[in-house]
Amino acid sequence: MESKSSDENCNNPNSELHPSKLMMASHFLRALFRIQHTTTDSSFAGRSRKIRRAAYASMAYSVGTKRSWSSALLRKLRSRSRLRSPNPRRAKYAALPGKPRVARPQQREMDQAQVLRELVPGGTSMDDCRLLEETTDFVRCLSTQVRLMQAVVDSVSI
Amino acid sequence: MEAKEKNQFGSEKSHGDHINIHSSGTADFVTSSPILSASMVEAFFTPGLWNHHTSSCTMSFGESNIQTATGGVNRVPIGKPVAMSDRGMLPSPPLGEFPHSLPHFPVDSGFIERAARLSCFGCGGFRGISLLDPSHSVAPPSDASEDAVGAQKAELTALSLPVEHENIKGIAMNHKRDPTMSHVGTSNNESREGNLCEDGQERLTGSADAAGNSSSGDLGANKRRKATEEMEEEEDQVLRGLQLSTETTKDLAETKHKSYIHSGKNTKDNSEAAKEGYVHVRAQRGQATNSHSLAERVRREKISERMKCLQELVPGCSKVTGKAVMLDEIINYVQSLQRQVEFLSMKLAAVNPQLDFSIEGLLAKNLLHSHGGSSSAAGFSQEMIYPQVYSSQQVLAHAGISSMLNPSDAFRRTVNTEIPMASGYKETSLQVHNSWNEQLVMQMAYGANPPLNSQVISRKPDGFTMQKDRSN
Repeated sequence: MESKSSDENCNNPNSELHPSKLMMASHFLRALFRIQHTTTDSSFAGRSRKIRRAAYASMAYSVGTKRSWSSALLRKLRSRSRLRSPNPRRAKYAALPGKPRVARPQQREMDQAQVLRELVPGGTSMDDCRLLEETTDFVRCLSTQVRLMQAVVDSVSI
Repeated sequence: MEAKEKNQFGSEKSHGDHINIHSSGTADFVTSSPILSASMVEAFFTPGLWNHHTSSCTMSFGESNIQTATGGVNRVPIGKPVAMSDRGMLPSPPLGEFPHSLPHFPVDSGFIERAARLSCFGCGGFRGISLLDPSHSVAPPSDASEDAVGAQKAELTALSLPVEHENIKGIAMNHKRDPTMSHVGTSNNESREGNLCEDGQERLTGSADAAGNSSSGDLGANKRRKATEEMEEEEDQVLRGLQLSTETTKDLAETKHKSYIHSGKNTKDNSEAAKEGYVHVRAQRGQATNSHSLAERVRREKISERMKCLQELVPGCSKVTGKAVMLDEIINYVQSLQRQVEFLSMKLAAVNPQLDFSIEGLLAKNLLHSHGGSSSAAGFSQEMIYPQVYSSQQVLAHAGISSMLNPSDAFRRTVNTEIPMASGYKETSLQVHNSWNEQLVMQMAYGANPPLNSQVISRKPDGFTMQKDRSN
């Protein structure tokens, strides 16, 4: 894959190979199928939320615990799922990364690093160097996931 | 270097006399020069000078210096030579005395902030000054200094800071010096400015008159220019001490006092034992060799390396230079990706109940994607719809799902073992295909695309025909 090859150029000695697209696809599709057939929730919003969570879960799951962002993401998802039944409101606090944020204009570097920390899961407790590393991997994974989802949508909707 | 240092000593002594004389005369200059930088610089220099003087003179002298708008103190040469000479001359500066004299100065909190900012611009200021006088640019040592900062006042003022820094280092001031320096810094800007410039000039060129001539607005500029010249000249002589300050510019922002202290401690070591430290980074010429600054440089290089990688990832960022813009782009890209995920999930949610999408087909399609066959994928997708139409498809889908669950586990397990991904997953996928080949092959058969995993097709020609018959 194009993204993988370009990344390997710059990060080869440091990072392991990116999880295969196929693995991510299998996880995601499985989750999709499960959602489609097993959920009783017929609301559109609920379903889309579940699918979004499944996307992040499959992404994090395929990466495993090799990266801190994936472990943080998995932790967040698991805590969310655990908290769901007893107190659904608490789950809001563990916000999934997909929540869109308004980018503040004219940010100094410190603020930018802070925003980036909030965007990347698990980024709040990292120094700048590691933050950039995790961001690289996260961006790679996220772009793969987006392409995967796009492919699924294309294949289904034609 | 050593010879130069000795020369500095000599000049120092004479300079000291100059300072005494000038202290009274500079009061006027001091008040007339409102530029912050000079005053800041002077403030920083004064401690060094005080050290020099206190050892040789009485403390009262220093106090009087301070009281006379730091006129005399400002004479401290901007360059390192003063520091060096001081270091030689004053092995143990009576730092304890400084705090006594400091209270004389009004302490401006704003000034402290400025001092802090200047300290971080320290090397930038130095560079700015060198930029002012390109003719005087001393080559490599001033390279680092020339880079940077534009001819801005702040930078110029910062210029004085590194020099001051040097002085302080030379004197090996301890922590006490920090409050001293800040105090000094907060003293009259004007006085400092005039003093600083004057000191620099007198020390090197003895052109006190020139310093005196420049007045009001021009005062600071002229003095700064001359200071620049002098600084540039000094640069070679003062070696790492000053360069160290250039490196510690960023350090200074946060650890202003600490950096002063450390640099003071380390200048001597740095001058002799060039590149010490556990980080084996070579300090190039014109760069500081302080252990802190070395670590700082390593960290910065790491960060820049990672930024480069990110640049490759984010589309359209190859031309962007600068951390801030790059970070902006990265943040935007991550946000856009997250928004895309949301949008696509919404799309999938909408699509979901309508179509009973076959996972195997989708997986196969993804396989196709992984092989890079986009056109074939389009054709394949067309074919994929067929199975959904058939009623048998439901059974097939369910069977496929159930069988897929097992192969998925196996697949995951195989993938998670240390197989190189690039080639590994292809093989494992083939293995998976073998386990639930029938459904998959059927899907593929409809596509009948050669670019599709030909191995699978070749492996199960029987399945191919068999499935075909079955579907018909």
